[in-house]
Amino acid sequence: MSRFKLANLIAYGFVSLFSIYVLMPIIVMVLTTFKSKREIFLEPLGLPSQFGLSSFEKALSVGLGSFMLNSLIVSFFAVFLIVTISGMAAYVLSRIDFKFNKFVYLLIVAGFAIPPAAVLVPLYTMVSNLNLLNSLFGVMMPLTAFGIPFTVILFYAFFLDFPKEVEEAATIDGCTKLQIFFRIIVPLSGPVIASAAIFQTVWIWNEFLLALIMLTSDDFKTLPIGLLKLRGEWTSDWGAIMAGLTIAVIPVLIVFLLFQKYFVRSLAGLGK
Amino acid sequence: MNKNNKQSNSFTLSNDKISVSLLLIPALIFCTIFIFIPAIGTIIGSFYSYSLTSMNNWKWVGFGNYVKATQDEYFWVALKNNFIIVFASIVLQVGVGTILAAILDRGIKHGKVIFRTIIFTPMVISSVAVSLIWLIIYDPNVGILNAIFKSIGLPTPSKGWLGDPNISIWMIMITAAWQNTGFMMVLILAGLQSVSKEVYDAAEIDGATGVKAFWYITLPMIRNVLIVAILITTIGAFKVFEFIFVFTQGGPSNATQVLGTYIYKQAFNLLHMGYANALSVILLILALFLGWLQLTSSRKA
Repeated sequence: MSRFKLANLIAYGFVSLFSIYVLMPIIVMVLTTFKSKREIFLEPLGLPSQFGLSSFEKALSVGLGSFMLNSLIVSFFAVFLIVTISGMAAYVLSRIDFKFNKFVYLLIVAGFAIPPAAVLVPLYTMVSNLNLLNSLFGVMMPLTAFGIPFTVILFYAFFLDFPKEVEEAATIDGCTKLQIFFRIIVPLSGPVIASAAIFQTVWIWNEFLLALIMLTSDDFKTLPIGLLKLRGEWTSDWGAIMAGLTIAVIPVLIVFLLFQKYFVRSLAGLGK
Repeated sequence: MNKNNKQSNSFTLSNDKISVSLLLIPALIFCTIFIFIPAIGTIIGSFYSYSLTSMNNWKWVGFGNYVKATQDEYFWVALKNNFIIVFASIVLQVGVGTILAAILDRGIKHGKVIFRTIIFTPMVISSVAVSLIWLIIYDPNVGILNAIFKSIGLPTPSKGWLGDPNISIWMIMITAAWQNTGFMMVLILAGLQSVSKEVYDAAEIDGATGVKAFWYITLPMIRNVLIVAILITTIGAFKVFEFIFVFTQGGPSNATQVLGTYIYKQAFNLLHMGYANALSVILLILALFLGWLQLTSSRKA
């Protein structure tokens, strides 16, 4: 019995310690935001003596608002395109067994394995030749492409599990495959659409490498690239840097907490 | 009449299949233009020497860029660092993730959702933000890591936590684990929850409980999920970029480069486009090999 209790204690102890390790940096980030410069240097482990908001003003002066707006625009349109295009493609791949489709599925899985870093130079050259450097559209298009393979695989697995009877009944009633897709499959795909959209939103909201090479003008920077400017502008003013991070991170955390059920499900589904 | 009807029906059916297949086209166009053509461009470009400023001045060098890579000490450092990060990430993220998942699955009764939510949270924060948050923790002047070490009387590294490559590579790993372990935990937890209760009941009759049952019965049953977890971690470890870009920029003297940051440096700092392409092809081959492994292992599952 006592051995059982000890095991229980170790289990709770381990997850608690790990939770502290996870929470600690977030707490440091928020607390540093409110500390004075003096407190930051002299009492790294202390609490702020007052809740000053001057750091937030400095952080916003870098242009965080416009970076965030750019990220919102890019994320919204890219995610919309990714989900629509991938859903359509996955339906075809899961229902029509042409030889060509099997080849396309393999191509898409291969596309999933190719990281942006492996095609960096030609992609940059292409976007530059199209005169789309420093435009939201220019970064939106490749991001959409890189989001498609994973989303196709996610939808494909969902459509394969979809009960066949409904579709068979609709076919007997004279529906074409196109009608079945838009009138029956799409309305019943809410959960997987939510999972895909949430996963892709987080990915695109956070994407760094492609945005780094394509967006060099402040007017078009997305949030992850813009955050680097915090460090450039406020080199050792940690209060301002952490205030900027707090502004960038807290909204994402709130969205995550609201939708975490879908989120966890979409990631857990990867193992299947 | 009846026969006629049937014929026209089968005709529209195959027509139907073709028309619905048009839905595949947008995905094909996007992937072809922005993934496959650039991938081919990378391979072609790797046989040339050129820079961004002299776009029309391509010089054929054959396998020269690849020979250069084999002789480039920093390429090997970058590749070695990638493999160190792969290995350590598997131990830290999959290993610890499995322990956490096992505890949340059957080890504790209370607070499962709260613990799961907390530990998963860093996954949704951008890697740049994660790096900047950890930058203040590692900072030698204001960082809490130094403060904690000093307050319990331990020595702190003289060049700071990120100044000595032997130490900074581990700091990169701790940060990566902070962000990704929760993801592995959730993935493995989903696998554990699909193991039925009867299996545990049967194991208990045979005298296997607790850690013993987990090791001999549960782990073999979730083998496929573990393989997927290891592959995702491996692929992720080859894509690692932001932590190094923010923490060390690959320095001091290239000691903390990985393939991603080294490709970026060769292309956009040194303008060695051909050489950057050759390094990209090496990354491409590694990535496709890992993708193929993932496909074959998930097929088995």
